[in-house]
Amino acid sequence: MTALRTGQVLLMLAGLIAWALQFLLIYGATSTLCGREWADATFLGLGVVQASILIATVTALAATAAAFAWSLRGYRSAEARPVSAADRFMVQSAALVNGFSLIVILWQGIPAFILPACA
Amino acid sequence: MLSCALALASCSGVQSALDPAGGDALRIYWLAVIMTVGATLIFFAVTGLLLYAIFAPPERRAWLGGRNTIVYGGLAFPIVVLSMLLPYGLIVMRDTDVRMPGALPIEVVGEQYWWRVRYPGEDERPAFSTANEIVIPVGRPIAVSVTAADVIHSFWIPNFGGKIDMIPGRVNSLNFTAERPGIYRGVCAEFCGDQHARMAFDVVALEPSAFEAWRTNQAKPAPEPDLPQLVRGRELFRTGGCGSCHVVRGTEANGLFGPDLTHVGSRRTIGAGQFPNNVGTLAGWIANTQHIKPGVRMPSYGSFTGEDLRALAGYLESLK
Repeated sequence: MTALRTGQVLLMLAGLIAWALQFLLIYGATSTLCGREWADATFLGLGVVQASILIATVTALAATAAAFAWSLRGYRSAEARPVSAADRFMVQSAALVNGFSLIVILWQGIPAFILPACA
Repeated sequence: MLSCALALASCSGVQSALDPAGGDALRIYWLAVIMTVGATLIFFAVTGLLLYAIFAPPERRAWLGGRNTIVYGGLAFPIVVLSMLLPYGLIVMRDTDVRMPGALPIEVVGEQYWWRVRYPGEDERPAFSTANEIVIPVGRPIAVSVTAADVIHSFWIPNFGGKIDMIPGRVNSLNFTAERPGIYRGVCAEFCGDQHARMAFDVVALEPSAFEAWRTNQAKPAPEPDLPQLVRGRELFRTGGCGSCHVVRGTEANGLFGPDLTHVGSRRTIGAGQFPNNVGTLAGWIANTQHIKPGVRMPSYGSFTGEDLRALAGYLESLK
């Protein structure tokens, strides 16, 4: 695999990796904090469970937004000049996957602000 | 026709999630309605488009493959729908099964294949136990704590809300409020053995004053039999060893293995919701337990004569 293709694959997977890490952090932090009965502890005025989820979500959103912006740039660039069908597919897929990742990361963070921390 | 009739029959009744009798059940009902109607409409729309794509002339169906159709119909539409459903579902989840101040506590233990029910003492009111029937006041929040004595069961009263697992060694809770008086039916919603399907209970929602009267009566010891045949029935209950497994408060029967029978005559049904409660069904149950509900812990007492059975069943039926 060429360096270009490796970069394209990594860019395409960036949002999914950020989503997976956010998932891991949310579940890990919630299980640990609730298991140790720290649900009522606060951090900067916010419950520690919500704060952990907020930090994980904002970080994942920021990383995915950067990947999305990067993939959109590649997509526009591919539209403007002749490229191979495979390259066109890769840049289009990267933009789509990173766009979707932004939405699912947001969806995954929402419950923390509607449901009780350790329900 | 038959399927329509069967479907409509489930829209009301003593055991129907489609006939909510409390706020929690109503929230779950509307979530189910919105999901079902929405999913049905989308299913028919997608199926229609699919048929159109197959059978319409190429020049008329070309728009289906256009970028706008894919972006708006295939991407934006599902994202918008799911983005609305997610918070709605979460809000329903948040507002359902919330413990309210002043709730009436009730403890329920699932056992193969019946329900041990205990009302803890409250203020001046003493604690007492009953079985296979839950009586609740209308309008007052109810906090049910559930666990299991043997295997995993699940506590579900469809008219009042969701179900909750009963797990040995763990206490779970379920909160709801009955908003109209009536008789409802709860069931075990987790397969727990051969007689799982015959593990039900009645839920009787009473006006608060009627509930207090019921509660006061249930806390009393069993009434003394006032007829010779009932006295004989009590003696048969004692000599037959029934008290090894059953409690009848006010007598020497103090067994904790089976249901508390102190006021068994006041319950609507016997056998965990299987038969109406009367002398005939009680006698049949005592004599043929293993035939009626094979696998229950109580053996069949087929050695009683018919006369003895009538006396024993009459005594139990008199325990109002």
